[in-house]
Amino acid sequence: MSSFALPKTVVRTGLALFVLWAASFGLSYVHLGSASLLVALAIAAVKAALVVMFFMELLHESLSMKLTLAAAGGLLAILIGLMIADAATREPPPLVPPGYPAPDVAKIPSR
Amino acid sequence: MSSSIPIRPAEHFENLERQAHAARLGMWVFLATEVLLFGAAFALFATYQVQFPHAFKLGVEHNTKVLGSLNTGVLLLSSTLVATGVHALRAGHRKVASWLVTATIGLGLVFLVIKGIEYGKHFDEGIYPGGAGHWFAEHHDRGLAEFWTLYFGMTALHAIHVTIGACVLGALLSSILRGRLGQENAHRLEVGAIYWHLVDVIWIFLWPLFYLA
Repeated sequence: MSSFALPKTVVRTGLALFVLWAASFGLSYVHLGSASLLVALAIAAVKAALVVMFFMELLHESLSMKLTLAAAGGLLAILIGLMIADAATREPPPLVPPGYPAPDVAKIPSR
Repeated sequence: MSSSIPIRPAEHFENLERQAHAARLGMWVFLATEVLLFGAAFALFATYQVQFPHAFKLGVEHNTKVLGSLNTGVLLLSSTLVATGVHALRAGHRKVASWLVTATIGLGLVFLVIKGIEYGKHFDEGIYPGGAGHWFAEHHDRGLAEFWTLYFGMTALHAIHVTIGACVLGALLSSILRGRLGQENAHRLEVGAIYWHLVDVIWIFLWPLFYLA
C-alpha cells in the first residue's frame, strides 16, 4: 500500500482557519468600538463557510443537500432578522401610566 | 486490520453509491434542524444583546477569554484531523484513518475538560445560571443575569453535542478497527465527520459572541 498523501484542500483550509482564528483573537484587543462585534462575526462567517464548503464538502454535493441547508439558513435569517428589528425599534414601555404620580426612583430595584 | 468483510448495500438500495447519497442527505436534513435549534438560541442572544449592550460587553470582558480561545483552536484542529481521516479512509488507509479519528475524539475530550475548568472558575467567582451567586450582588447592571444564563445554556447545549459527536466517532472508530468500515463504505465516516464539523461551526459563532466582542 502506498503511503498516505495529505489532501491539499484540507491542509489549506485548516491553515486558513488558524490564520483567521489568530486574526480574530488579535483584533479583539484592538478597540473597534461598536464595529468589533460585526468584525468578529464576519470573520466567524468566513470560517464557517470554509468548514461547510471544504470540510463538509458542500461545494461538491448535489443540489438537494445545498437546498436543505439553504432552507435552514433562510428560515434562520427571517427569525433573527425580525427579532432584532423588533427589539431595536421597540418603544420602551411607559413606567408611569398617565395621570399617576412619578415613582420614587430610589425604590426601584436595579435588577 | 487487513481482512475486511465484504460490504453490500442495504436491500432497498440499488448500489452503495445511492445508499451513500441517502445517508448524506439524511444527515444534512438533521443538521438543518440543528441549525434551527441553535438558531433560536442565537436569536434570543441577539435580542438581549440589543436590549442590554452594556451588560453584555461587561459579561464578555469578564469571561475566560484565553481558555475559550484555546478551545476554539482545539475544535478547529479536531475538524481538520477528522476531514483528513475521511480522505485517508477513502484512499484505503484504514490505519491512518483510525489514528486520525482517535486524535479527533481525544481533542473533543480536551475541549470538554477545558470547558469544565471554565465552568469551575465561574462557579468559584459566584456566577451561576439564572443570576444566582454572590457575583451578581456586586454587579448590578440589568442584563448580566441574561448574559450568563445564555452563556451557560448555549455552551452546555454545545457541550452535549460535542459529547454525542465523540460517541458517534467512537462507534465509527470501532467499526474501522473491526474491519467493518473501509474504503467501500467510507460514507459512514463522512456522515459522522459532517456532524462533528457542524458542532465546530456552532462553536465558531459562540466564541466571538461570548468571549471576543
